[in-house]
Amino acid sequence: MANKPAVTVKRPRLHNQTLNWLTNPVHLIGLAALLFLAYTIVWPVLKILYTTFLWRQQDVRLTGEADPGHFTLYHWTRVLASDMSMSLFYKPILNSLGVGFAVSALSMLLGCGLAWLVVRTNIPWKKTISFLAVIPYLLPSWILSQAWLTFFKNGKIGGTPGIMQALLHVSPPDWLSYGFVPIVFSLSIHDSVFFFLIVGAALSSMNSQLEEAASVSGAKRLTVLRRIVFPLVLPSILSGFILIFTKAISSYGVPALLGTPVNFYMISTMLYSSMRSRLTTEANVLSLTLMIISMVTIYLNQRVVGRRRSFVTVTGKDSARTLTSLGRWRYPAAGMATAGMIIISVVPLLVLLLQSFMLKEGEYSLSNLTMHYWWGGSDPDINTGEKGVFQNPIFMLALKNSLYIAGVSSVIAAVIGLILGYVVARGRQSWLGRAVDQVSFLPYLIPGISLAAIYISMFAKPTFIIPALYGTITLLILITVVKELPFTVKAGSASMMQIGRELEEAAQISGAPWFTRFRRILLPLNRKSLMSAFLLVFIGAMKEMELIILLITPRTETLTTITFYYAEKGYEQLMNVILMIIIAIVMTVYFLAVKFGKADLTQGIGGQ
Amino acid sequence: MFISKKKPALVMMTLVSAMAIMSACGDNKSSNTLSNAVPSNTEASSNANASAPAAEQSTAPAAESVDELYAKAKEEGKVVVYSTSGRANDAAETFMKQYPGIKVEVSKVKSDEMMDKVTKEQDAGQFNPDVIITKEVSGAVEEEMVMQGRYLKYLPEDIAPMVDEPYRTQAEAYANYVEFRTLFYNKSTYAEAPVTNWWDLTTPEFKGKVYTADPLSSPAFMDLFTTMVINSDDMAAAYKEKFGEEIKLNGTENAGYEFIQELFDNGLIVLKGSDDVLDAIGKTKSDALGLAVSGDVSKNEENGWTIAPIYDIKPKTSVPDSGYFFIANKAPHEAAAKLFLRWMMGEKDGTGEGLAPFNEVGSWVPRSDVKTKNDISFEELNLWLFDGDKLYNTAPKVRDFWIKQK
Repeated sequence: MANKPAVTVKRPRLHNQTLNWLTNPVHLIGLAALLFLAYTIVWPVLKILYTTFLWRQQDVRLTGEADPGHFTLYHWTRVLASDMSMSLFYKPILNSLGVGFAVSALSMLLGCGLAWLVVRTNIPWKKTISFLAVIPYLLPSWILSQAWLTFFKNGKIGGTPGIMQALLHVSPPDWLSYGFVPIVFSLSIHDSVFFFLIVGAALSSMNSQLEEAASVSGAKRLTVLRRIVFPLVLPSILSGFILIFTKAISSYGVPALLGTPVNFYMISTMLYSSMRSRLTTEANVLSLTLMIISMVTIYLNQRVVGRRRSFVTVTGKDSARTLTSLGRWRYPAAGMATAGMIIISVVPLLVLLLQSFMLKEGEYSLSNLTMHYWWGGSDPDINTGEKGVFQNPIFMLALKNSLYIAGVSSVIAAVIGLILGYVVARGRQSWLGRAVDQVSFLPYLIPGISLAAIYISMFAKPTFIIPALYGTITLLILITVVKELPFTVKAGSASMMQIGRELEEAAQISGAPWFTRFRRILLPLNRKSLMSAFLLVFIGAMKEMELIILLITPRTETLTTITFYYAEKGYEQLMNVILMIIIAIVMTVYFLAVKFGKADLTQGIGGQ
Repeated sequence: MFISKKKPALVMMTLVSAMAIMSACGDNKSSNTLSNAVPSNTEASSNANASAPAAEQSTAPAAESVDELYAKAKEEGKVVVYSTSGRANDAAETFMKQYPGIKVEVSKVKSDEMMDKVTKEQDAGQFNPDVIITKEVSGAVEEEMVMQGRYLKYLPEDIAPMVDEPYRTQAEAYANYVEFRTLFYNKSTYAEAPVTNWWDLTTPEFKGKVYTADPLSSPAFMDLFTTMVINSDDMAAAYKEKFGEEIKLNGTENAGYEFIQELFDNGLIVLKGSDDVLDAIGKTKSDALGLAVSGDVSKNEENGWTIAPIYDIKPKTSVPDSGYFFIANKAPHEAAAKLFLRWMMGEKDGTGEGLAPFNEVGSWVPRSDVKTKNDISFEELNLWLFDGDKLYNTAPKVRDFWIKQK
């Protein structure tokens, strides 16, 4: 419309243009979204940025030059160009990048492969496989690294020898036991479900006529994959890639456990150290470098996706989906996929379940089995009299709070993700869409503690129309929604990009207002992506520790605060009981969603 | 529309416009917080002395009787506790039996996060906690919280005479229990402590056989090394005692740094946490040594370890890691807070049930009238003084030195 420069434009035309621009729902929603993101994300990030250019009282510890309250470049120089930089920044950042790319690549292989098998082929046991794929994400990530150590640890970190060493009498080399390799494997297994869900959703809504057309014209199966399937799901793959990349470079628990013995530090572990040593500004500089790296990655992604014209695969026309036949590989493939999934998900799960029934850890005998940790009364000989989980007086309250927080925030997060995804997808060519895209993924990179600390001062007093939220469950929900935006928006936009405009336009011509179009067309068509977003946010919120601990006021107990208490006391079985309860809840939610939400992840969208 | 071509610059523009929108929105707020933040910092630092009386103020009305406190506390109805230790939960259970009508709500928070939480809350005019139970963070609690009057000292007059120094008058507050980092060995390997001097760890006998929890992620471990740097003369003397000659520094500043460097040269292995260290040396027969928290000895049976701590190492065994008690500034339930603090202190004669969770193996109650469960009394422990001010200012340098060893 406005392709000519606006220099000579007359007033009325400008007025019309503005009006026209504003009446476009994409722009209106986009502006609202940007306002929301500006307050909840950009503002905190700017606050963090601002502090990095000021001397703080704390800095007197580092140098005598510190002049509290005044401008300085000291913090940036210290991190980027001092005699500390090599150990404090450059080595860790290389490690971070290496881990980030390797985890993304490996998760892509795992996630996409599995998604393709489940969605586009005639492999049997689809429901089982896609259910199993979610389980690794249910487990805390440290469990996978612990499992790795149980198998592959060598004499270096002492204790009981690893299984490999005990069986083969060969000491695994350090590179296999600690550092890069195990970190990449643990994180990939844990997070590849994101790839599986995002790419799976894209694949399932792809019109198979495109593939058929290619096959009819004589293209080989690989060519079809490479030339048709791959380009069409590219936006989803790139979204997944960035998401996993950001998640990996910001993860702390796994690198801390597996990296420390071989001095393998990442920016995230350094950042945690700065934070704990009260060098807050240093921590801020480090987290900003992570944000900058990811902004660049996102920008490159936008270049790649932006250049392509369309990824629309869902149009007004219905189409039959035909599945690729695996031929005689059908059962072997299913067997291998299932076996692999069982090893990485079911086995750890069962071990944990078994442990919750074991009176003493590591004693495998029938007489050692007990229900004590589930509903036993107080016994002074066990855990100094700590009662079983169901007897814990605050358990019911905590369960209720957890369900409420996770339930409400995951629904809100999924819907907001879809709406912002709509803005990103429809506004892909405009600054608005790009801005929403860029900003919405930052929350993964703001350390949870910093974000929570800033939220305390932002929401402790009423501001404008926003009431004082600190100390209320609403703030916990808000921060959970914000923290999960990177995933929900990516999932939302990847799935929205596939839906053609003509569906909406048809409805628009028939006089449907935007809200009706959203409710009647977009929502149903995106049901599956909505469902995955809901599910993963729900799981994330049930597991969340950091954000909740800092923002919680004493009245708000949740399941994670109980876990925290047990962990501190070293009551492992009781922790396992809570973990099992959380997993049981999530499984129930999953099955309910599949049954009543018609959101079977293995079927096409809209429950075709 | 407005902008029809996409350029890289757009990304920046987007951000700038976002910033503009946002700074417009948050204007009144930003000016509040930012203008507040700066002066309050400078003010507090410049009048560290001036605010000290404010801290002492709260010790004055400590003469209130238990009955008076209970009467007032019942009106308040509850007490909110922020604690780094789960021991507060155990004390709360017995407290609520003893004093019905007062509910204790304990939040467990890490010491550094607690500082952030309380600072932000108080700056925003929210005064939530009553009782603060916290460990030091390399002197930062004293510098950033106590001196600023955010955490207030509380030691009732009738209990004070029984309290050992430095916790009666010299330290930043009364500490109800004291732990420290020390070396552990495996009892099934060694009949008695295999080392008597920190420098033993740098000998070939212990090459690749010393574990520590990562001081980069647990500042309390760094505090021990920082204290060695601060007391480098002691370290140099211990070196001479061990090897019979003066210490030669290999490019380091003093004997403390030299010790850290030689530890690394001798293959120090860093693990994530204290439990990992004790798993490494205590799970199976091992001739390695590990640096861990003295209080962990009480988890021996629970975790299937056969470990024992060493309580006498030259020049000094360690530096105390104290569990301090404070009342929070403008505590909303002050009487209940005092009553609960008294309960945890074991009341006037130190025999109260509330003290039990703190008087454990591996931790010491610095009261002359309380019998310790350890073989060695608090006075007999050979510990360096915890010099908060020096630690606060030296810790970052030692941390830098540590990072550079990687």
